[in-house]
Amino acid sequence: MISFRIDGRSVVPPYLQIVQQVRQALRMGVLQVGDKLPTVREVVAATAVNPNTVLKAYRDLERDGLVEPRAGLGTFVVGRPSGPPPGTHSRLARSLAQWVRSAHEAGLDDESIESLLRITLRAAAEEETA
Amino acid sequence: MTWVVWRQHRNQAYIAAAALAAFAVLMLVTGLQMASEYRSALGLCAASHSCSNLASTLNLENSAVSAVVTLTVVVPCLLGVFWGGPLVARECETGTSQFAWMQGISRTRWLAVTVGWTMLAAAAWGGAVSALVTWWSSPVNSLNLQNFQPSQFDIQGTVPMGYAVFAVALGIAAGALVRRTLPAMAITVVVFTLVRLLVSEDFRSHFITPVTKTLNFLLHARAILPTGSYWMVSSGLVGPSGPVRSGPLNGGPSLTFDGVPIPVSELPSACRTLLFQTSTKSASGFPSCLAAHGYHAVLSYQPADRYWAFQGIETGIFILLAAILIAVTAIVVRRRDA
Amino acid sequence: MASSNVDPIQTRGLSKRYRRVTALSDASIAVPEGRISALIGPNGAGKTTLLRLLAGLARPTGGEVAVLGSHPSQDSAFLADIGFLAQEIPLYRRFTAKDHIGIGAHLNARWDEASVVQRLATLGIPLGQRVGTLSGGQRAQLALALTLAKRPRLLLLDEPVAALDPLARRQFLAHLSEAVAGGGLTVVLSSHLIADLERICDHLILLAASRVQLCGDIDALLAEHQVLVGPAKDTTAIERDHTLVQAVRTARQATLLIRRNGPVIDPAYEASDVGLEELVLGYMGQPAGPTPKHLSAIGEDK
Repeated sequence: MISFRIDGRSVVPPYLQIVQQVRQALRMGVLQVGDKLPTVREVVAATAVNPNTVLKAYRDLERDGLVEPRAGLGTFVVGRPSGPPPGTHSRLARSLAQWVRSAHEAGLDDESIESLLRITLRAAAEEETA
Repeated sequence: MTWVVWRQHRNQAYIAAAALAAFAVLMLVTGLQMASEYRSALGLCAASHSCSNLASTLNLENSAVSAVVTLTVVVPCLLGVFWGGPLVARECETGTSQFAWMQGISRTRWLAVTVGWTMLAAAAWGGAVSALVTWWSSPVNSLNLQNFQPSQFDIQGTVPMGYAVFAVALGIAAGALVRRTLPAMAITVVVFTLVRLLVSEDFRSHFITPVTKTLNFLLHARAILPTGSYWMVSSGLVGPSGPVRSGPLNGGPSLTFDGVPIPVSELPSACRTLLFQTSTKSASGFPSCLAAHGYHAVLSYQPADRYWAFQGIETGIFILLAAILIAVTAIVVRRRDA
Repeated sequence: MASSNVDPIQTRGLSKRYRRVTALSDASIAVPEGRISALIGPNGAGKTTLLRLLAGLARPTGGEVAVLGSHPSQDSAFLADIGFLAQEIPLYRRFTAKDHIGIGAHLNARWDEASVVQRLATLGIPLGQRVGTLSGGQRAQLALALTLAKRPRLLLLDEPVAALDPLARRQFLAHLSEAVAGGGLTVVLSSHLIADLERICDHLILLAASRVQLCGDIDALLAEHQVLVGPAKDTTAIERDHTLVQAVRTARQATLLIRRNGPVIDPAYEASDVGLEELVLGYMGQPAGPTPKHLSAIGEDK
């Protein structure tokens, strides 16, 4: 069993904090397949977050195939987070490094790059949802 | 709900019960003593055939105890102030109305049960005090024959119960209207006193049309005077040109007729002279003289046997007023925002 | 969860006028079942009035209100389903917690005595001590436990945590959230403490100047709003495509809080997400007076 820590000041919404903490625990081996997650009631009693927040987080985890609710028993871990194949990271990192170099050459400093990245990510997210 | 009412008001009930118990002991001890004193005085005077002036020779009452008995006239008002005034007002003032009225019971039901028990307690308490006073006063009543006197009438029989019910209803209604305990208590005292005075001074004598008797001075006056504990509403002389002005005239001599002073200067001069002559013959000639000049006396009174009718009427009036106040309270509590 | 699909709270044009002042004007809100709704607004905005109208403690002077499918009334059937906790936490100061539990047991057909006793034991609140001698936090917890013992379907709480220290506040909110997790309970909670509300609430009713400025799901409302920071140029283009909620302008720069109708593509502006506090302050900062009609409908499911 794990317990959650919700940071009210974080820009990450509470439900996402729960999702991230479960994923992290799975990656670290703290949680293993077959383990039971705390019930919604237990989570809210400990953290004073909205029950729907916990439900939403558990639904997200369920959609990703990591957990599974079993009627009357609780929510159980059924899988591990699947990452992309190991080569993907390094390939993307190489092309990003190349892009950063050209950005620096064009006179952008790190802050402008971060801001540009955020805007692009948001636009991409909107394109996908649209 | 009854449990809740009891839990909320049990301290008041305990205090009231203790006060009543103390008062009952005082009444029983002094009452029994007084009754035996009266019985032995009656026995003595019967032996010496002097019972007709027993009232002027026998003093039954202990002044301190009498004062306590007289003070029971404020008991209904106290009940109104301390039981009625805070009943709704304190709930509103402290905001507990928002607790009580959000439980699973309608406001009407809450009010009905709370008010019902409080009124019942007020009637019982007022009735108990009055019953003790009535029993305690019976020798004094038989001796003094002044049952209609406000100082006796207002603390005996059933009226104190009516007053108590009215005062508590008044306190509850005032509290529901102003929603603050102290102002509600103050309003209760003022309005209660005014209504009581108004009824006893202005209305009571008209409950039943008084019996009116005309006294011809040629006859023996005593023979037709009412007997027992009657209530003389008015009495006076009527002359050929209407009622003779009564009331004391500055400094001049006056003739007292059944407690009402009539200035001698208002009477015909022929008779006046008879009055001031000392011989017994001319003194008895005075009434004949008045009769000859067209004067007669008029008495207007409530006979002694109407005492319980009067008690009943007045009790009924105050219970009716209480019912109206409770109806107003119910409307206010239901309609107004809590 | 209850089977009815009608929102526990629905009002249309709800108004309350006192002799001189309008406490609430033309309020149209809906709160879906199972939500914890944050009722936010400056002092005197009408929060207490709205809660009292919903509880049936006050009568509206205009508009319609349906709470749990019926008009708020003084009937025991309606009262049984409503839990109301006034701001001043009115309890009988001379009575003990045990006395209050007794009162609740005698006045309610449905009464979960075990839950109160257990909750008070958990919190270490003595049963036999006069309520007047308890701390503010203990009183608030007792009042909440008593209100929850009715097993209400709708809980209306007026600034319940305002007077509590952070720990008591957290315990109170956890207690509340646990009750909602049990199912079948909808909550409206007014408070000034946005940080607390952000954590526990998933629905928002924003009042300002006795009018409803916003009502809806918090995540949806936040997603619909953005802050744009850019040069202080003409904003008509922005205002044509989006709804401008608040603009803070200096000589060179403009900070705009907007409700978006689609993505903002103007590269001159840097767009960022808004937090609940920023959103609330943006709407509160609006000049008083009638708001455009559509604002009160933002976030409502059509």
